[in-house]
Amino acid sequence: MIAGKHKFVLPLIVTVLILVTLRCAQEEKNFTFWIGGAPQEVDYWEKLVGEFEQNTGYRVQVIRQPTDSDQRRQGLVISLEAKQPDPDIFLMDVIWIGQFADSKWLQSFNPFMGADSSSTKPFFQRVLKLVDWYGDSLYALPVYVDGGLLYYRTDLLQKYGYPGPPTTWDELLQYSLAIQPKERNSNPNFNGFVWQGAQYEGLVCDFLEFTASNGGGIMIDNKIQLDYPPNIPALQFMQDLIHKYKISPPNTYTEMKEEQVRRAFQQGNALFERNWPYAWKLHQSKGSPVRGKVGISALPHFAGGESASTLGGWHIGISRYSDVKDRAWRFVRFITSYQAQKKLVLNLGWNPGREDVYRDPEVLKTLPHLSRLHDVFQHAVARPNLPYYSQASDVIQRYANSCLAGDISASAALQKMQTEIEEITKIYGQK
Amino acid sequence: MGRSEDSSTRREIRDAYIFNLPLMLFAAVFILLPVVGTLITSLFRDVTYLPGKFLGLANYKRLLLDVSFWQSARFTLLFVLVSVSIELVLGMLFALTLNEAIPGRGLLRVAVLIPWAIPIAISARIWELIYSYDFGVLNFLVTHVGLANSPVNWLGTSTGAFFALVLSDVWKSTPFMAIILMAGLSTIPRDLYQQAMVDGANFIQRFFRITLPLLRPVIVVALLFRTIDAIRIFDLVYVLTGGGPGGSTNSLSLYAFRYYVNGDFGYGSAISVLVFLLASLLAVLYIRFGKFTEVAR
Repeated sequence: MIAGKHKFVLPLIVTVLILVTLRCAQEEKNFTFWIGGAPQEVDYWEKLVGEFEQNTGYRVQVIRQPTDSDQRRQGLVISLEAKQPDPDIFLMDVIWIGQFADSKWLQSFNPFMGADSSSTKPFFQRVLKLVDWYGDSLYALPVYVDGGLLYYRTDLLQKYGYPGPPTTWDELLQYSLAIQPKERNSNPNFNGFVWQGAQYEGLVCDFLEFTASNGGGIMIDNKIQLDYPPNIPALQFMQDLIHKYKISPPNTYTEMKEEQVRRAFQQGNALFERNWPYAWKLHQSKGSPVRGKVGISALPHFAGGESASTLGGWHIGISRYSDVKDRAWRFVRFITSYQAQKKLVLNLGWNPGREDVYRDPEVLKTLPHLSRLHDVFQHAVARPNLPYYSQASDVIQRYANSCLAGDISASAALQKMQTEIEEITKIYGQK
Repeated sequence: MGRSEDSSTRREIRDAYIFNLPLMLFAAVFILLPVVGTLITSLFRDVTYLPGKFLGLANYKRLLLDVSFWQSARFTLLFVLVSVSIELVLGMLFALTLNEAIPGRGLLRVAVLIPWAIPIAISARIWELIYSYDFGVLNFLVTHVGLANSPVNWLGTSTGAFFALVLSDVWKSTPFMAIILMAGLSTIPRDLYQQAMVDGANFIQRFFRITLPLLRPVIVVALLFRTIDAIRIFDLVYVLTGGGPGGSTNSLSLYAFRYYVNGDFGYGSAISVLVFLLASLLAVLYIRFGKFTEVAR
């Protein structure tokens, strides 16, 4: 049908059309913002970005990343390693910042802030110090601050005559040992304490909380010291919760991630729960069996120790390869502004990175538990901010999980972690 | 006469090359290039936050001394051996059954194919629900039938997790075996069996004397595909066990993947190259000891 001299016409038209569309698309966007998470969260982000576009006249292309944080990281690592100009702006999990900053992928915020150092004042200074400052540069700002909490059943504690939540691990154990057998008469699936023990990043968070609340931790005096003596009874206690005291279910070390833990507690199958703040809104939602029966407090500590809460959350950064850094900085300022942070907490329940929002009367009226969280974040402990943190984390996960499974003793597990991480430090620790 | 025949064969060869050129280009760009690239990367220190450096074989030396690598290698090879063997036997049974004129054969064939049509990540999620400690179907069954008093933590031990993975993979991949073998069975002439029956050969004899030898090239191909596939196992493990408990089900691909995500492309590439070599070696062995050419003659 398209014969003779006309046979080139159609391909030509198509090519021109494609080129024109590409050209338009390029002029259309000013910069790209990569964001992942649950669909309704990203929906809200798009709304927020829309407001920014209206205020500034800039165009922002929102690229939806997967929900899974491993995959989000993979996407960013590939683009940044290839020095792509996109994405310009993205959110990072706290534990990526060390690697990203050390790989020189992040634009320092120092030149933008200039003399105006007061602009970081409203943020949690402890959080900035733990993760956002790397060397002399500020590379990121917190958008969403997370930390481990203890959830407890107010109705059950009252029923069995306990005045309030436990403040030490020993109290948590005693309460559980007393209440669990009685509750099991009516609910055979009932457990004293549920927490994250599966082999994944969440286990490291719990591990850090247990050890740090005994005066130990992963980094002692700026050095990785997993075989630090106070860590042994802490890890032993984690193993004992499952195997000796049996107040944590046997699937703790196979299946228990945030959501499994939350569901167990929400179905009324647990007295205590270690989880992130996000669980609060869900526990209190309509139709939740534990609605109105939940309390939160700081996590317990060992005798002589102090309560510790692992710092999590998402921070915003600008790519060093971005070609529109000034505009990107305006976007960062917008997202971390009082108004935007307030909107994020009211609509998504994201705990703001700014302290001043925690004093906002409207926020406190809707989410009264936020004042508690504010105190918890003040005691946050951070996972090591090392570029090779993930490798170290893999080792901790493996041996901690193996210890929880009962295959290896606590002291042997810690010893092996230390040896392997020292090997890793030799390979990745020096330039 | 001779000359023109010569030139026509030459032209035929040339045409063959021309017609194959797109495919060869495709293979070169999308298969050969990445392989060579990975090989080169594996000789360097390619860590996102460290200056690049030529290392020679240092990444490989490190691999040989890496306990976790050997644990992954052991798991992966054992997984391949056990799951592919079971798949072969079951696939053969399915193929033989479905090759017979039984009622509802068409429907059965479709039913057998279903697991293969489901993406691995999704079937892994399904199995996750089956093995789940709290609300898994398996625990519901064993506790209600009375096989166990309390729920079993299926994925909780290295052995349990291993066989849980094998079972999921067998469920998923047996259909593939069955389909290929079925195709092979249909090429065996019917009259061979009739003659054998006239000679008084029973079912077992017919299977071992006719079916198996004639099916050998097909079996080798099926094994080849399945083995190479199983050596690279990733999604099933990623979803179902994440490599746990205690790293006992960390497959080689998952192990390499972790290094890529963590920013060490050199070491991750070295692992990938080793997986590639292992798969190639097995492929060569299959073709060699499958006496492929001899039967296909």
